[in-house]
Amino acid sequence: MTSFRLTAGGAVDRDHALNFTFDGKAYKGFAGDTLASALLANDQMLMARSFKYHRPRGVVTAGSAEPNALMTLGIGGRTEPNARATVTELYDGLTAKSQNRWPSLKHDFGAFNSALSPFLGAGFYYKTFMWPGLFWEKLYEPLIRRAAGLGKAVMQADPDRYEKSWAHCDLLVIGAGPTGLMAALAAGRAGARVILADEGFRFGGSLLSEGASIDGRPAAEFAASIVGELSALPNVTLMPRTTVFGWYDDMVFGAVERVQKHVAAPSPDLPMERMWRIIAKQAILATGAEERPLVFGGNDRPGVMTAGAVRTYLNRFGVAAGKRVAIFTNGGSGYRTAADLLAQGIEVAAIVDARAQSNDAAPQDVRVMRGGSVIATKGRLRIDGLIAERSGLDEVIACDALAMSGGWSPIVHLMCQRGAKPVWSEDKQAFMAPDVGGTFAAAGSAAGFDTISVCLRDGAAKARAALKALGRLVGPLDIPDVEGEYDPSFAPLWYVPGAKGKAFVDFQNDVHVGDLGLAQREGFRHIEHTKRYTTAGMATDQGKLGNVNTVGIVAGMRGVSPAEIGTTTFRPFYTPVSFGAMAGTARAEHAAPFRTSPLHGWARKNGAVFVESGLWHRSAWFPQEGEKTWRESVDREVLNVRANAGLCDVSTLGKIEVLGRGAAEFLDRIYSNGVLKLPVSRARYGLMLREDGIVFDDGTVSRLAENRYVITTTTGSASEVLSHMEFAAQTFWPELDVRCVSVTDQWAQMSLAGPKARIIMGRVVQDDISDTSFPFMSAKEVTLRGGLKGRLFRISFSGELAYELAVPAGYGEAVADAIMEAGREEGICAYGVEALNVLRIEKGHVTHSELEGRTTADDVGLGRMMAMQKPDFIGKRLSTRFGLTAADRLQLVGLKPIEADKEIKAGAHLLKDQAKPSLANDQGFVSSACFSPVLGHFIALALLKSGRERYGEKIVVWDGLRGTEVAAEVCSAVFVDPENLKLHL
Amino acid sequence: MSFHDLYRHVLEDLVTGFSTDRNANHLAVARRPAILSVLAAAGQETSVAEALHAVENAAPRFCGPSEWLLVSRTLSAEHLADALFDIRGALVVDQSEGKVLLSISGPAVRTVLAKCVAVDLHPEAFAMGQSANALICHLPGNIARTGDDEFEIVTPRSFAVSVFEELLEMGREHGLTRNFTE
Repeated sequence: MTSFRLTAGGAVDRDHALNFTFDGKAYKGFAGDTLASALLANDQMLMARSFKYHRPRGVVTAGSAEPNALMTLGIGGRTEPNARATVTELYDGLTAKSQNRWPSLKHDFGAFNSALSPFLGAGFYYKTFMWPGLFWEKLYEPLIRRAAGLGKAVMQADPDRYEKSWAHCDLLVIGAGPTGLMAALAAGRAGARVILADEGFRFGGSLLSEGASIDGRPAAEFAASIVGELSALPNVTLMPRTTVFGWYDDMVFGAVERVQKHVAAPSPDLPMERMWRIIAKQAILATGAEERPLVFGGNDRPGVMTAGAVRTYLNRFGVAAGKRVAIFTNGGSGYRTAADLLAQGIEVAAIVDARAQSNDAAPQDVRVMRGGSVIATKGRLRIDGLIAERSGLDEVIACDALAMSGGWSPIVHLMCQRGAKPVWSEDKQAFMAPDVGGTFAAAGSAAGFDTISVCLRDGAAKARAALKALGRLVGPLDIPDVEGEYDPSFAPLWYVPGAKGKAFVDFQNDVHVGDLGLAQREGFRHIEHTKRYTTAGMATDQGKLGNVNTVGIVAGMRGVSPAEIGTTTFRPFYTPVSFGAMAGTARAEHAAPFRTSPLHGWARKNGAVFVESGLWHRSAWFPQEGEKTWRESVDREVLNVRANAGLCDVSTLGKIEVLGRGAAEFLDRIYSNGVLKLPVSRARYGLMLREDGIVFDDGTVSRLAENRYVITTTTGSASEVLSHMEFAAQTFWPELDVRCVSVTDQWAQMSLAGPKARIIMGRVVQDDISDTSFPFMSAKEVTLRGGLKGRLFRISFSGELAYELAVPAGYGEAVADAIMEAGREEGICAYGVEALNVLRIEKGHVTHSELEGRTTADDVGLGRMMAMQKPDFIGKRLSTRFGLTAADRLQLVGLKPIEADKEIKAGAHLLKDQAKPSLANDQGFVSSACFSPVLGHFIALALLKSGRERYGEKIVVWDGLRGTEVAAEVCSAVFVDPENLKLHL
Repeated sequence: MSFHDLYRHVLEDLVTGFSTDRNANHLAVARRPAILSVLAAAGQETSVAEALHAVENAAPRFCGPSEWLLVSRTLSAEHLADALFDIRGALVVDQSEGKVLLSISGPAVRTVLAKCVAVDLHPEAFAMGQSANALICHLPGNIARTGDDEFEIVTPRSFAVSVFEELLEMGREHGLTRNFTE
């Protein structure tokens, strides 16, 4: 009744013991063990409880397809639920816990579900939790959520680092078994850049588990010698512990490397996991084949595992699955297992072979029951016997482990992730890799070849073909001799009749044959429907083990070939990938790049509160001592700008230089207003439309020299405008000699606004900036005191006398400091984008709140910017469409509350007085709103149907989100200084 | 008052004050390089390209069809622009302040950069002097090979802090150090 460690053998380091715990109990294993092999060595066969029925479960496989032995590893923030013990590399101090059980793995109250199982068949949830409807949210959903899932995530932050990396190669070899090793060796010796990736921590794949000898050496030794040669080749990169989980367009493969998952004390300088994007010119799929479980009654009892797993534990880890092992097989794998067990002195209870006859020879003295089958297993937390049946005769056979083999399926997932479906082969009785073109080929067992020698040969041949496609010649490779290999061919056996008890097809989701039958009876016949109705293949293992049996059994139920049933859809990821690996470094404050203006330091030392605007962090307002709310700061800043002066960072606006002999003509076509005749040293407001006549962006155009302009864009549209201009230059008008380049980052740009702006600027700039020499809309290079060159623009967004000064970015902070100092006596203040917004709303200037992708120039009161006399400009033709010129379009207006203390908020909708809120009654909406400290009440900009005809009308501002209604008067959008007298001081 | 003494590099706080020891793997920040955008006027693409390669003490970095960044560690932007004055069809825009020039080198340089750049930097794939516009640490930039195990990165100033911090983080396992070069 025990699994145990053999006294010798296996690729574990018996001199290097490791301590670990499982459910709080201390155990010892060896370096080279997996958690599963170490548990088996300690006779811990019971490892988990199943999801639905809480049935006791042991390990079924020795690899990544494991459906049962899922555990929670680690503690605190490093807790990892649903880890597969079969691929968890043992390390000293590892803490593992079983899942989905209470109070303990041995005594689990949830097993009560098993008693209810007749009522819990497929579709139970869909049928039961239907009514009454009101119960769903309050009762059913919380109940189902509590029952869902196996392991539980923890709420602590993950303390570890993760990162991502690219890799490039001529040939990517996925899987380092006999096929992959030979492929990598052939390509590596030929000098190609090769990446060999394997999910395991030791290269060799099945060679580590098989008793054959190659070149006169044990298979594992042969594998080690190849790995030795490969690691000495500078052109070969070995990537152990790396799962290639996805194949994407353009031969990009996704892979995740477990860098430190196996380390007792992880280094803080290394990532825990590394996500790879591997760009390969050619790739070989050498992932091998998966052994199928057999679907018989009680096939989920702990101690029942695949024959290959029994051999792996035995040969690779030196662990016997039991002392008296029975075998149920339909092919050669079962016979090989019997021989390997006997070689280690383990008793073989019997080989039950489903086939009436075969060429496989049983070892001497081993009983073979041909044409027999297993119909039930016995035991509670562990198998202690089985019932075999032949021609109606039942027989109990005592055993403490059962090795099953249902044949082999090539592991073709990656090749099927981009739409190609696997192809059924009658000959191989398996789904084979599809032909996906000349760059990605399956080799060895993944291509349906079975023996080691054929795999070795195929690996080398496929590598040779891959390199030939790249124009590289590969010399011949000696294929070593293999002795003692076996023929793993098999006869299909999908369904074992006469099962007593449940026969499971999907262990993890507890789907059994009865569920598949129910799905067929209830009309969920398409395999994708069967999958979703029964949840077969929907667990974390994605049906790696069970799906093929599902297909085979459904085909049997319908009396057709599995080819007719087909498979469900393969998608990345091959095995689960942690969110940490997917996030890489992009977490917390590094989730997005941090974009700062050259005046960021200046703003910070002036106490700015920052606001994220795209990736930019812009200064929003500058609170002073005693100010409790942002409004207090903003009101003060606004009033100070209007009374004295203020300095604002406008560096984030897009700046594009436009150069070349065709620049003037080019800009004239890009902007809707006339730009052609703009003189040198002058600036102009400019409006860009999209092709469809809608406003795209606005900004200023300044002509610095005959063939050199600098234009500004809004902060958010800078890159879009540059793309738009480059596209137009390259494709619409290639005959124009014009080039565009972004200079946004080159300049620190600051706006100095207010009646005292000229006095202050005059103290910093050497040039004459009097109104006569430097009138409104001037744009010139200037010299600052001390000789620094800058660019000065007399433009204003606030409606005040204002200058924008641009200086090379590295001087920005010093110049801003100097302006603040120069303006101290004049009462200068720093102001942020919130005050800037208030200033522009008071002036009725539009931003992307109004230029929001649906408005025309006329809608926002800029109809005069449409220079229709120009031969053409982008947007001209479609701007005259009826829809864009209709009289009832929304037009920009101002709003002021009729009761002065009422607030108006952006986003509120407009209704006629007395009208009920409805879509039909909607008259428009508030686009921008603020408190105007100059006027002492709220003001707003709004887009209102035929708005400009409705000045003076009383309208209702209806805010459905906040549940308010305010009466407002429609007025002009310009609230302050409508004659623009202050601009021209 | 003169502003020239008050110049401030965007990475000042991330470089000054840190250890000045230099490991094998190192990230150097050029304090005042000259970086010019050079664009060829229509029809002058080939002649401008040839002329740029002939400019002394400077190297052109390819940014796209008929567009380069001309980089110099020894000349000032004014001197470099002067040197281009006679090249017919060369449209020149100073970017010395808008770009940050980094130089990363050492035996692990390709391993570190593979975490930042999708471009294949293998010696066989990326020759000495070759350059490419690419996303560098998710942000637009230019990368050039300047030595056996040395690469130059040009990154926008506004993103330089993000790029610099990410490069350091990716070089952490290889002990990447940092300094300014004058």
